[in-house]
Amino acid sequence: MGNRLTPGRAGWLRLLTLGFAAGVSLTAGTAFLDLIGGNRPVFLDWLRTILLVLTGFWLVWGGTIGLLGALSPKSRRLMDLTRPEGKTAILVPIYNEDPVETFARIAAMNRQIVAKGLGEHFHFAILSDTTSLEVAAEEASEFERLIVEPEAPGRIFYRRRERNVGRKAGNIEDFIARSGAAYDYAIILDADSLMEADTMLAMVRRMDGDPKLGLLQTVPVVIAARTLFGRMMAFSSAYFSRYFARGAAMLQGEDGPYWGHNAIVRVRAFASCCGLPVLSGKPPYGGHILSHDYVEAALLARGGWKVEVDPELLGSFEQGPENLIEYAKRDRRWCQGNLQHRRLIAAPGLKFWSRFTFVQGIMAYLASPLWLLLMAASLLSSLTPDSGGERWGATPWVIGGGVLATLLLPKFAIAVRGALDGTNAAFGGWRIIPSVLSEIVISTIIAPVLLGFQSRAVFQILFGMDGGWPATERDAKAVPLKTAFSASWWIVLAALAALVFMAYAGPAFLPWLLPVAGPALLAPFVIWATARGGDRPVSTWLFSTANERTPSSIIVEADAILASWRATEPVVTSGLLEVAVHA
Amino acid sequence: MKHQPFQPIDGLPNAPLAMPKQTLERGSAFGGLFKAFFLVWQRN
Repeated sequence: MGNRLTPGRAGWLRLLTLGFAAGVSLTAGTAFLDLIGGNRPVFLDWLRTILLVLTGFWLVWGGTIGLLGALSPKSRRLMDLTRPEGKTAILVPIYNEDPVETFARIAAMNRQIVAKGLGEHFHFAILSDTTSLEVAAEEASEFERLIVEPEAPGRIFYRRRERNVGRKAGNIEDFIARSGAAYDYAIILDADSLMEADTMLAMVRRMDGDPKLGLLQTVPVVIAARTLFGRMMAFSSAYFSRYFARGAAMLQGEDGPYWGHNAIVRVRAFASCCGLPVLSGKPPYGGHILSHDYVEAALLARGGWKVEVDPELLGSFEQGPENLIEYAKRDRRWCQGNLQHRRLIAAPGLKFWSRFTFVQGIMAYLASPLWLLLMAASLLSSLTPDSGGERWGATPWVIGGGVLATLLLPKFAIAVRGALDGTNAAFGGWRIIPSVLSEIVISTIIAPVLLGFQSRAVFQILFGMDGGWPATERDAKAVPLKTAFSASWWIVLAALAALVFMAYAGPAFLPWLLPVAGPALLAPFVIWATARGGDRPVSTWLFSTANERTPSSIIVEADAILASWRATEPVVTSGLLEVAVHA
Repeated sequence: MKHQPFQPIDGLPNAPLAMPKQTLERGSAFGGLFKAFFLVWQRN
């Protein structure tokens, strides 16, 4: 069973972890209250303390998961690569993405599957929800290349919905309603997903071997990043995420997560439990469920199915946003989806952990405006005279040191663990040190900019603004300074106002504001500078990942197919185009 | 550009599987009480 705990042990570990996070944040709150108000705190002191405890709890909680992952034993489970019993549909929902890239990845996965003699066990279904007629026509013409791939006819399907009812969840639901009974399992991918055939086979074998397993999630690694921001995220996902996921897996047990892609589901379990209703009322809280994956995981667990994540299943990849603007755009969508979950926390029959996961997802976004509120309250309090209460001697350095330790300790613990378990060697040995340090520095610099974007997203949703469903442009690379400025001028203004205010009201506290206000003041430059590097060859020095040093065979195959397809024109069938455009 | 005869896209297996809608929202207790006592006439 690797590092997965029995439900009873997972329960105790949850209790211990939650208790630890609560204890640490309450202790920090007590020290903070002593620092700002002594034994005579006023209203603003209490407000600031409550905000610090609230935000601190989630910070400590996240850090504890990382520490657990760094300390957890590595699973010794071997991948079962014997012939599968069940038949699997590999679903690729697409929505206005570049079809050449997506279909090249599908061709690579298909070639690996066919080469292993597993063609009859795995079918592909490209489920298009594309709204752009131009992209739809391109999809149809690119499908012509795919259909001449080995054993493709009768195994690789493409269909496009005229109306994308229910968005991605509705797209998959439509497939299950039409063809679900033909398959035992469905591997759900995103347009940018890539998976080794062995990984898919191992997932199917896990489902074959455990009839109660309803969903098995892999931890996808971000690949193909070129900009500084993209490469940092890719490094973080390849290096840190596996350990964080191990920690999370220990806590989640059989009530684990589903992240919407790079996962396998038991079709009958999914069909019987995961028909999502349309929520009453209008968006952003009503209407179709946006972050459907968390809800589907909760519904499967409610139905008595196991939902597990396996961080040891390698060979699972995805792509990520290449700059802060695209990241913020995706975040806006996720933020609305997660805040919508407030309607579902009390849904009947859910397991405690599913409800907690909803709260955790909501707090991941609410934390930003709460930090902002804490800073605003701190600015205001500099106008009021000190209450003159007695103190027992907590200093700002103790609080600052505690926050720093919470943020850094898990990453350093992972770096030490990586040195011991051989992970660092795969990432270039000593080169891991500048990469880890740079990741810490750059993520600290971009944090205030993200704080601004996330806070705006939360406020927009609280005021009832629907963000719609914009597709993430994973290819969007360099960001001109003008674009960066028009996206973040308001962050600059807010930072400037805070600095000017503090310079007049409490200049002594100015240095404490600078780590946040400084990067925020330079937000356009931060966005522009971190989006650079896309036009240069990939550096193998900073943020080098194991997959860059020794690329997985599926990445090599997909890149080769993409290069050859880019060099030639697709075979176009006029009838096919017409069908795609008018589907 | 090479042209080929028309081929139907789709061709997915015709094997329907029902996906019943799940209940996720709880009716508010106060709302239920309100409807039960004060909006009785709506039932008619």
